[in-house]
Amino acid sequence: MTAPGAAPTGFDPGGAYRLHRQAELRDEPFGALAYHFGTRRLSFLKAPILVDVVRALGDSVSVEEALQRCAVPEAQRPAILHALAGLAASQMIEPRA
Amino acid sequence: MSDPDLIEDTAAAIEESDATVETEQTPEPDELLTESLVEEVSIDGMCGVY
Repeated sequence: MTAPGAAPTGFDPGGAYRLHRQAELRDEPFGALAYHFGTRRLSFLKAPILVDVVRALGDSVSVEEALQRCAVPEAQRPAILHALAGLAASQMIEPRA
Repeated sequence: MSDPDLIEDTAAAIEESDATVETEQTPEPDELLTESLVEEVSIDGMCGVY
């Protein structure tokens, strides 16, 4: 049972996502900073390839396609998906209709 | 005063120790990715790593 107001947990790698409309990315040497103006949360994305995937989400029909477009190695996909699920739970990325 | 065996044992231990440190300093890329890729901070004082 999900508590009222809790972050959504149903991250779907087959679905379409994008950077949240209230979030911004700023490139950094380690990857990027993501700031959400609504939740006032700051996330440190510590892998450039993760930043590439987050940026590619908006132009991809699914998360899986974004991973392919960014040439994410198979061995790294579970970690990237885990990170994306966390970003979805914290509303840094959102489902796209 | 010095014991040749003791010196050899010490040198071997140092070499082994150095090898261990070198291994720890050069993790495989995949190992890096299994560590936290995202650190989250809130100005309300909550933070998380995943």
